[in-house]
Amino acid sequence: MNAKTNALAQGFIRCHDCGYLVKRVDHPATCPRCDSLLHGRRPHSLQRTTALLFSGFFLYIPANIFPIMNVNQFGVGDPHTIAGGIIELFNSGMIPIGLLVLVASILVPSLKLIGIGLLLLCAHFRWQVNARKWTVMYRVIAFVGRWSMLDIFMISILVDLVNFGAVQIIAGPAATAFAAVVILTMFAAENFDPRLLWDNQQNL
Amino acid sequence: MPHLSTKVMNSTNFDACPECDLLLKPAQPKIGEKAHCPRCGLLLSRPHKQSVERTFALSIAGFILFFPANFLPMVGITVLGNVNTGLLMSGVLALFNDGMVAVAIVVFLASVLFPLVHISLSLLISGHLYFNRPNRNLAMWMRWMLHLDEWVMLEVYLLGIIVACVKLMAIAPLKFGWGLYAFIALIIITTMLTSGLDSGLFWQRIEQLRKKDNHEC
Repeated sequence: MNAKTNALAQGFIRCHDCGYLVKRVDHPATCPRCDSLLHGRRPHSLQRTTALLFSGFFLYIPANIFPIMNVNQFGVGDPHTIAGGIIELFNSGMIPIGLLVLVASILVPSLKLIGIGLLLLCAHFRWQVNARKWTVMYRVIAFVGRWSMLDIFMISILVDLVNFGAVQIIAGPAATAFAAVVILTMFAAENFDPRLLWDNQQNL
Repeated sequence: MPHLSTKVMNSTNFDACPECDLLLKPAQPKIGEKAHCPRCGLLLSRPHKQSVERTFALSIAGFILFFPANFLPMVGITVLGNVNTGLLMSGVLALFNDGMVAVAIVVFLASVLFPLVHISLSLLISGHLYFNRPNRNLAMWMRWMLHLDEWVMLEVYLLGIIVACVKLMAIAPLKFGWGLYAFIALIIITTMLTSGLDSGLFWQRIEQLRKKDNHEC
């Protein structure tokens, strides 16, 4: 099944942590250079990624429905959802910053969920694709994930600074859900093994 | 890539691409050159001049800067004569006091603890390599540091500060403190650290030191 030019098909395992190439053995072994456990491919890559992706997907719903922060002015609360905060930025004329937050907190997480889903389907159903393009997609997904934490950090700063008796900003329940989505999808991307895409290509 | 016969292979003579697992002859790019995987295009290595020395120097600078970046006020806001100043840690505490414990922990890890551990590990590793001191924990430290890389989110935090400031500017006047400048300097240093770190070279040096240590014992 494996593409013949792959190191694993030729009887070699590349250490995940230090990149040392060792001869494949049948029993569990550790890397002679860095002592980490050797695996030909990430263990249970598809199962783990699927589980993390689904948890991320379900938490993405409360993250968008519930308010991410409450602005209390003289006792009157004004809840903001993620989308609401962006609309407010647009309305007050701060379009570049609004676009930045739109990309970081809406486009990146949702495209990431879809992208990892597609990668999983591709690896599972052994689609014959241009593996190079799909690997680039994986690389982009793995790279941009952390930037979604922007909203969470922004809230931690706002909550800290805007705390005057009459005017207060309080973090809402969506913040926890959103932070969880970002972290779960980061773990999902980390657990996905892009080499599975290459293993399935028969015309290499 | 020609088909390679299994018999002549020796594990040290070959390399594999981390993302597409193509079996490769190890590329040895010169300083300033880049080696890409011919099949998937991944940047395989990009050696930098004096990577160990540079990493050591930058880690010292980063370690020193970590403290003003964390303990000096970053942004101050004035509303009706009241001044509120923000630190990295005070944001964490504010979230904690609001009952957002999980979010507070995440912010603490990504913006305070992991950066500190990352810089300390980098200082430890490059220090041992610089002075050629073997240590049996070197490989473990190196693995931790590489795993931690992705979870150090200082530059994302800076973007968070910028967005928060833009939102607050409409409400009240802001004052920027020395903590913010130290924080920006710290980000420049950690970015230079991660981009200038030649992990291939570091692993080779760690292996050499281990052999030297075993030889002396």
